[in-house]
Amino acid sequence: MNRVPTGRPAWLVQRASAVYMLLFLIFFLGSLWLHPVHGHAGWVQWIGHPALRAAVTVFFTALFAHMWVGLRDVLLDYAQPVRLRPYLLIVLAMVLSGLAVWAAWIVLRPFA
Amino acid sequence: MRFSISRYDPDRDEKPWMQHYDIDLIDTDAMLLDVLLRIKAQDPSLSMRKSCREGVCGSDAMNINGRNGLACITPVRTLKNPVVIRPLPSFPIIRDLIVDMTGFFKQYDSIKPYLINDEPAPEKERLQSPAERDKLNGAYECILCACCSSQCPSFWWNPDKFVGPAGLIQAYRFIFDSRDTATEARLDDLNDAYRLFRCRTIMNCSEVCPKGLEPSHAIEMIRLNMVKPQGDSGALPVHAVSPKRK
Repeated sequence: MNRVPTGRPAWLVQRASAVYMLLFLIFFLGSLWLHPVHGHAGWVQWIGHPALRAAVTVFFTALFAHMWVGLRDVLLDYAQPVRLRPYLLIVLAMVLSGLAVWAAWIVLRPFA
Repeated sequence: MRFSISRYDPDRDEKPWMQHYDIDLIDTDAMLLDVLLRIKAQDPSLSMRKSCREGVCGSDAMNINGRNGLACITPVRTLKNPVVIRPLPSFPIIRDLIVDMTGFFKQYDSIKPYLINDEPAPEKERLQSPAERDKLNGAYECILCACCSSQCPSFWWNPDKFVGPAGLIQAYRFIFDSRDTATEARLDDLNDAYRLFRCRTIMNCSEVCPKGLEPSHAIEMIRLNMVKPQGDSGALPVHAVSPKRK
């Protein structure tokens, strides 16, 4: 049987990424509420903390992984004819990978 | 009371059309099937399936005012007037209210709906504890009427690839049967993007099941069992049968 695209791994990724994003958003909003950030300098200082950078990078990784599973499901459900699906999935994977690399570059680059 | 019934004769009609019947209800018209049989007595060309007349065989599944159900256990006086009756959605129509269920039963057959046990047979029988037997409750009662699969959008889009709620609640029944030794093979067979994981938890299946079963819960239990065996998970939940209709 063709194992690509997958079943259980995608399902687990979708749920794990959702849990992480939920926890991160609670932390992020709580952090902003307790310690408001003002201006560009404030954001640079906020993102300058290595642990926060890692957390934000993981957040965007989780976001794009979650998007992959969700949009993949849309294509698997609705894209017709069926033989078009592999090509659409490749395009989707390339776009999301590009966005993930771009997001990582923005978050991890050194700030002035 | 007006009954608008979908008619289709493959020899004569290009597509289904609605025929209207105005019927005065009488005391013996308890269920929708009673009225349909009186209509059929007036108009013998109307075709439908029916058999047990008490919600056990699942033959008379149809779409009643937009919602799938069994005509024989649907109280006719609870229905909104006019009553619009169509064949099960998404299934190919053979004639009037009779649909082709070949694809549906093909999916059912694909989950190997029988006990697999290669161990030597015991002298008398394969015993189960009450807790092991309890896991089958809420699943074995499925009568394969197809109300659930026919009302499932995921089954509409991929009927040849997605097993569908009816097939999956049957898969649950054997995966969670302590006497079955093919659990790993059964789970492996469902572990691709289509057969099990096309379910988007829309829950139409649980909503329309005329036996009050919850295939969506069975599907979730299979998914969880793929991650970790569920131990004494107990019976599947069931809900009240014949909810109020409109």
